[in-house]
Amino acid sequence: MMSLTADSPVHSSSSDDFAAFLDAELDSASDVSPELDEVENGEAEGEEEVEDEGNDTGDGDDDDDDGSIDSSRSKKRKIELIEAAVDPQSSVSRGEPAETSGASLALDVCTHPGVMGGMCIRCGQKVEDESGVAFGYIHKNLRLADDEVARLRDKDLKNLLRHKKLILVLDLDHTLLNSTRLADISAEESYLKDQREVLPDALRNNLFKLDWIHMMTKLRPFVHTFLKEASSLFEMYIYTMGERPYALEMASLLDPGGIYFHSRVIAQSDSTRRHQKGLDVVLGQESAVLILDDTEVVWGKHRENLILMDRYHFFTSSCRQFGLKCKSLTEQKSDENEAEGALASVLGVLQRIHRLFFDPERGDNIMERDVRQVLKTVRKEVLKGCKIVFTGVIPIQCQPENHHYWKLAEKLGATFSTEVDESVTHVVSMNDKTEKSRQALREKKFLVHPRWIEAANYLWRKPPEENFPVSS
Amino acid sequence: MFFHIVLERNMQLHPRHFGRDLREKLVSKLMKDVEGTCSGRHGFIVAITGIESVGKGLIRDGTGFVTFPVKYQCVVFRPFKGEILEAVVTMVNKLALLHLPIDIYPCGILQMGFFAEAGPVQIFVSNHLIPDDMEFQSGDVPNYTTSDGSVKIQKESEVRLKIIGTRVDATEIFCIGTIKDDFLGVISDPGTNA
Repeated sequence: MMSLTADSPVHSSSSDDFAAFLDAELDSASDVSPELDEVENGEAEGEEEVEDEGNDTGDGDDDDDDGSIDSSRSKKRKIELIEAAVDPQSSVSRGEPAETSGASLALDVCTHPGVMGGMCIRCGQKVEDESGVAFGYIHKNLRLADDEVARLRDKDLKNLLRHKKLILVLDLDHTLLNSTRLADISAEESYLKDQREVLPDALRNNLFKLDWIHMMTKLRPFVHTFLKEASSLFEMYIYTMGERPYALEMASLLDPGGIYFHSRVIAQSDSTRRHQKGLDVVLGQESAVLILDDTEVVWGKHRENLILMDRYHFFTSSCRQFGLKCKSLTEQKSDENEAEGALASVLGVLQRIHRLFFDPERGDNIMERDVRQVLKTVRKEVLKGCKIVFTGVIPIQCQPENHHYWKLAEKLGATFSTEVDESVTHVVSMNDKTEKSRQALREKKFLVHPRWIEAANYLWRKPPEENFPVSS
Repeated sequence: MFFHIVLERNMQLHPRHFGRDLREKLVSKLMKDVEGTCSGRHGFIVAITGIESVGKGLIRDGTGFVTFPVKYQCVVFRPFKGEILEAVVTMVNKLALLHLPIDIYPCGILQMGFFAEAGPVQIFVSNHLIPDDMEFQSGDVPNYTTSDGSVKIQKESEVRLKIIGTRVDATEIFCIGTIKDDFLGVISDPGTNA
């Protein structure tokens, strides 16, 4: 038990000396203002103590910009520095000044590659500069200069390629999971709250009620297998437009062991531009990054890295939000097919891209390979061999080459024709009354709805044509 | 560095405590109020070791509360530039989500450096200040390892480092450290102990 009486045995003059020493030390550091009255007695004898202590703790190469232990010593050193500058020959004979000036020279040239908590991460100097990119998801007070980001990316790339890995940036909502606010749960799905027994096991285990953030979250079927498989091929980031606490909460559901994402969880507040996602806050080389997201527009500059995902709508509120009138999965008490769902098919694509990227047969330099090119090639194979005629799809005033479906089909490797001739395989039509539609039926060509192309884009293979009939 | 110093604080006490054990009440309230807090000037107050004096109480107008000036001795911890410290490699931002187990979020070993803690002080060691022969290894357990694999820094490792910059705020102390110098680096590895 410590003594808390007035005449404590610990009380001695030495504590005053320490207080005085601390005062002397703190007075030299200008960034804190005095807030308490100090014990003044013993100041005079304290000075001597300070001098001794200072010499013990002061380090040889300690620079003297803010924390010099005792003022007289730094003054002495400054004088020596001046002497050294005036008379370079004398510095040769004396070791100390030369060493000190060398150290301060090194500090002068520090380019301040990054700033954390107002201090340079390399030299420890105070830096007020607000330039560079903020990496708030790594540490709340971290900023990195562009050069440093480039250096880290380069280093990271070498490290990744040595481990035969690429980078995968994952969106949360509608890609890996679906969330709804508890207040938005409709009457029809209220069974989710209180009678979860009616749900099959697989579904129930991936449904989470998070009372503290007033949300209910359903993980997409196959997501655990997906993450496990993908983690062996990719270093994974989460990048969401959600708030940070939400993002971390979701990360803990997806990755309860904390092995997939570590600190790589990027939330809305980390983006450098509002309503946009950008790879500028991802410490990975763009040529090695793939993105999975259900929203294309947010990835303004990085669409070439993007693999667009079919949206996962589990809750009714999510369907309504996107203006879908169909019955939600909750109302049907069912779920996306695990083995044939979007995540399963995209995993196959990712594995294929990874295989092609690291193909030992390729002769080129691995550092110069670009995953975007590989993605393009793989995408081109989806509708390879399909020759498409559009009818009743593209408005007459529109340049066909600029139309959404045309561009999409082109990206997927299809070729086009304006007439239904021998070589044509598919006629894409909005209704079966047009001349070309009827011709297609006559000549036993596939007659499909434009959604067939979109489905191909999501499934990464030719979807069964009979599922996309053209209504009259 | 630890210091044993005398600090003063004005303590307000509710009149219901005025009695035989007024002094004990005052002391226990003082301990509750100041231990574990951080003053930008003196560093972290680790523990109160004794009471120097309790001055005359002054009754506040209108409230009945009495203010006592209390001088107390305490142990404070404040890191200085140039100081050598022993620290444990930890996670970043562990305050992120308080209801989660703290070993989940997020790991403090990164491509750009690592985070360590010495008691309440958080220290960042950037990869500029990690010896050049130590390389970052990503994976399930991110770490820094020498090319021959003999030295490894990972979560929970104890390192000896030198402070090269400190930033003292009213509530926290943050430091930049280095292990790129003689006699600095890993002093114990969780892997070998387990």
